[in-house]
Amino acid sequence: MQKAKILIFSILALSAFAFALSEYPSQGGGDPWTQQQLLSPADLAKTLKDPKAPQPIVFSVGMQAVVKGSIEIGPAMVKDNLDKLKQQLDKLPKNASIVVYCGCCPFSRCPNVRPAMELLGSMKFTNYKLLNLPQNIKVDWIDHGYPMNE
Amino acid sequence: MKKLWLVTAFLVSNLPFSYGQSQPTETGKKAPEIELSSPAGKLIPLSSLKGKLVLIDFWATWCAPCVQEQDELARLYQIFRNLAFTNGKGFEIYGVSLDAKRQDWEGTIAKKHISWTQVSDLKFWRSPVARTYNIQELPFNVLIDGNGNILARNLHGEELEKGISKFLKK
Repeated sequence: MQKAKILIFSILALSAFAFALSEYPSQGGGDPWTQQQLLSPADLAKTLKDPKAPQPIVFSVGMQAVVKGSIEIGPAMVKDNLDKLKQQLDKLPKNASIVVYCGCCPFSRCPNVRPAMELLGSMKFTNYKLLNLPQNIKVDWIDHGYPMNE
Repeated sequence: MKKLWLVTAFLVSNLPFSYGQSQPTETGKKAPEIELSSPAGKLIPLSSLKGKLVLIDFWATWCAPCVQEQDELARLYQIFRNLAFTNGKGFEIYGVSLDAKRQDWEGTIAKKHISWTQVSDLKFWRSPVARTYNIQELPFNVLIDGNGNILARNLHGEELEKGISKFLKK
């Protein structure tokens, strides 16, 4: 009976893992970011709530600046918006702590995060991250009650 | 022991659905009211379409598959709009956009010649409707009968046409 329980638990755990993988395909394959550059929403929310913590500069490169304190650039798939982001980045030191996010759609379908991350890479920034919103800003940020712009 | 295996198999096979868009949009439940404005600024409650078979289409211009689907919706709208259903006379689409910018929303409605009901609060994923309907991803839709009861949810492609046809009056 004990063995059966272990077996059942293993199957459930494996299924959950497989399901998670199917829902959130690996972001490693050719994307302009590494796993280390993915910032968890919980970590950013914690930083934003801590007045003593050094605050990153957060850019929304999607439809709306939902995250509290984030700067609205507009969809980075639009050249004018990408130029606007470049202008903002030109003012910053290369080691500035920068976070970008979109959150419209799962990463696999998002047209905005790649151009923004590619720009940051090409401008030789050394400390930039992508907010890890594998599903979208609602599921991964709003539904958690994380801080939002008014 | 055999029972235990059956229970396990059931749990495992249903695991993905436990994460789905289930609670507020279960078949048979009353569709929650939506009261949003048209591009012209007219408040159009979902309940104003009572008596018709209604497809609530949650979409946005920034969602590529949603925009793509509008052509198929136009085709279905033409086929079904004046037909009688088992619990509804005529078919209407209630398009709820999760757009953030009015110009994007209105621009795509004009470009795609969308002629069915369109509403939005232009609040993107912060729209209270996204929470009420527990929307996890776009596109998402809900088919309701003339009394506002949910018949089906998240039907796309061939499944959508089949799903609507199923309720045609014979």
